[in-house]
Amino acid sequence: MIKFSNVSLIYPNSTTTVIEDLTLEIAEGELVLVIGPTGSGKSSLLRLINGLVPHHTGGILAGDISVDGISTATVKPGALAHLIGIVGQNPVNGFVADTVEEELVFGMEALNLSNDTMRKRVEEVLDLMSLAQLRNRAIATLSGGEQQRVAIASALVAHPKVLVLDEPTSALDPIAAEEVLSILHRLVHDLSLTVVIAEHKLERVIQFADRIVHINGAGNTVIGSPEEILMNSTIAPPIVELARTLGLPEIGVSVREMRRMTSDFRSSFEIQKPPSGEASIKPFISINELSISYNGKSALKDISAMIYENEIVAIMGRNGAGKSSLLRAIAGVSDNAFGEVIVNGFNSQKLHSKSRRENVGYIPQEPSDLLYGQSVSNECEQADHDNQVSAGATFAILSQLVPGVSGTTHPRDLSEGQRLGLALSVVLSANPRLLILDEPTRGLDYQAKRTLTKMLIDFARVFNRSVVIATHDVELVAELATRTIFIADGEIVADGPTIDVLLSSPAFAPQVSKIMAPQPWLTVADVVRAIEGRN
Amino acid sequence: MTRPTFHPLTWWIFSLALAASVVRANSPWFALTAVGVMSAIVFFARENAPWGRSFNWTLKLALWIIAVRAAIGVLIGVPIPGTVLFKVPVLPLPHWMPGIRIGGDVTLERLSSSISEGVVICAMIVIFGAAASLTSPHRLLRVLPIYMYEFGVSVVIATSVLPQLVSAVSRIRMAQRLRGQKTHGLKSFKRIAIPLLEESLARSLDLAAAMDSRGYGISKERSRYRPIKWAPIDTAVIAAGLLVVGLA
Repeated sequence: MIKFSNVSLIYPNSTTTVIEDLTLEIAEGELVLVIGPTGSGKSSLLRLINGLVPHHTGGILAGDISVDGISTATVKPGALAHLIGIVGQNPVNGFVADTVEEELVFGMEALNLSNDTMRKRVEEVLDLMSLAQLRNRAIATLSGGEQQRVAIASALVAHPKVLVLDEPTSALDPIAAEEVLSILHRLVHDLSLTVVIAEHKLERVIQFADRIVHINGAGNTVIGSPEEILMNSTIAPPIVELARTLGLPEIGVSVREMRRMTSDFRSSFEIQKPPSGEASIKPFISINELSISYNGKSALKDISAMIYENEIVAIMGRNGAGKSSLLRAIAGVSDNAFGEVIVNGFNSQKLHSKSRRENVGYIPQEPSDLLYGQSVSNECEQADHDNQVSAGATFAILSQLVPGVSGTTHPRDLSEGQRLGLALSVVLSANPRLLILDEPTRGLDYQAKRTLTKMLIDFARVFNRSVVIATHDVELVAELATRTIFIADGEIVADGPTIDVLLSSPAFAPQVSKIMAPQPWLTVADVVRAIEGRN
Repeated sequence: MTRPTFHPLTWWIFSLALAASVVRANSPWFALTAVGVMSAIVFFARENAPWGRSFNWTLKLALWIIAVRAAIGVLIGVPIPGTVLFKVPVLPLPHWMPGIRIGGDVTLERLSSSISEGVVICAMIVIFGAAASLTSPHRLLRVLPIYMYEFGVSVVIATSVLPQLVSAVSRIRMAQRLRGQKTHGLKSFKRIAIPLLEESLARSLDLAAAMDSRGYGISKERSRYRPIKWAPIDTAVIAAGLLVVGLA
């Protein structure tokens, strides 16, 4: 169905090749996963399939790509619209209409399909993607998971033979992600649709993939079955790391396979009790009857909680449950908040300039919102100046977090992980007592995530600080958080040590705990500790 | 009560007619009345959507233009004799710039003529701003013929990206408040403008790519899923507009 013959790609003004001499054939009805570190060219590879690269972006392309026999070099991306559906990294940026129904028909109207065909197909796709309830809703009012489904539906409605998705689950909570992926799985099996996905959160998609294309960043690509590729790859979800740690001869890609492979190992242990962590007793943040409403719709309802020193608190919940609202209110920048939040003895609403920087550090969902300098060093100098620290201090933090960033680079040109690192160093240069992060692992590869995890744990334990983090990433929570607060519909529904909260909900349980149930182990490190404890 | 839905072209044609009559009448009072009528229509008939909310910005922009124009008109230009309101010190200019004067006596006549010219210009802005906020740009795009492809792409980009930018401004402002920075004043402008500009460019490119890969502009003909019908109420609005042109 898709054929890459000796494809190489170079962007203008760039010295490195994005893709070098890639030859690859994807058969009809295959689900292929594209993996690689951030900034390695996964998105470029996806956009090569329908010709958006280089037709839309520029760049020099060598070799030939053909889809269903049509060479993408000879036609515009639009001429392949009936053949390829493509969903970008951020579906919100690609919506052209106001309501779900209008969005669905946009492509078909452009292709001049007859009214009868359109009506049939709209009904079909509404049922397929379970969107019938939402057909007349304004897209802006939908949740993240629903928007992702609308984006996929509007790609599917033109009956393409190939569906290309760029990080379809990165913004979704575990349940919404599962929904989207199981629909894709069904399409591949029922309609023999060819699907190409790029994704960082391998733990979510790995079990659905037939083959993996691994781009290593220097232009080299390896293609093979998931087992082959993951056996030796540096990019590995917890499930693979577990197999490696236990020294299993093969790796399993689903919980079911891994449970079979580890049944001997598991039966050699007695069921352990969850460890009880030592709780800190010095309260640091107190949230008192906090309510927030936007245009009469309430986002948070009378929330009260205490957060203690050197705790790392994860805030979890569905898309739109009120996580970001809570973070903003803790940071004291929510204009619609009622109730009060006391951070380190100060009302957080009333903090400003220096005292704000020293008490609360906040990394928003888009770390680039914090940045306005024309270069990395420019940005670091500004932070040095603002916080009256010695020159070069901020850059030193940055080099520690993400080594090898050049001072002359423009923040826009950094990779996702590097940009987060820069924003973090700017915030950390003020040495804040509290660090708040909103969805920090979006678009981060495993390597960058490990660095972040280590840094946050050091920050909380060594420097006696508190961290509050909102995330959908259960694996991150398992590695990092000492306590988890679960929010649903603006109310706290669960609050306790991470291990209790995660284990009590199957949807939010991390991979290792699903494999090792009923043992109370969340991460590979927990398993290693248990083995060491036995020996 | 269900609000009547209008054809996307209705308010644009009406605005065109009203604008033409404002030009014909060339009277600030007529212009002000037109602005009042348009504002009333907007406040009753607009939808709760990003483009609907844009009208407040239009009004602010218009007031700003009037103020700037009045200030410049009063300070620079040929002196008009009349009732002196107050005096501004005269800025000395080199001898090779005769006939132009900066500062000096501010007369009632000069002030009022500057303002009334400004009012007519701003009435045009408000009238078309009102049409824009009464019509969903996406519906408008659907009734435009396909050969306006480039125009269509720009319209969709401008109208989808602009509202997102408004929310981006508040997001970036919030982030910078968190960095302990001031978010008002001239100095903060650069800090907000730069991330905003970058984001809007990135978003526009994304959207253009999305429209392209969905086949927009490929077929000469464009089919309609729900044809937009011309209703009697549309004719009524247009007739009212033409009547105003005739009277003015």
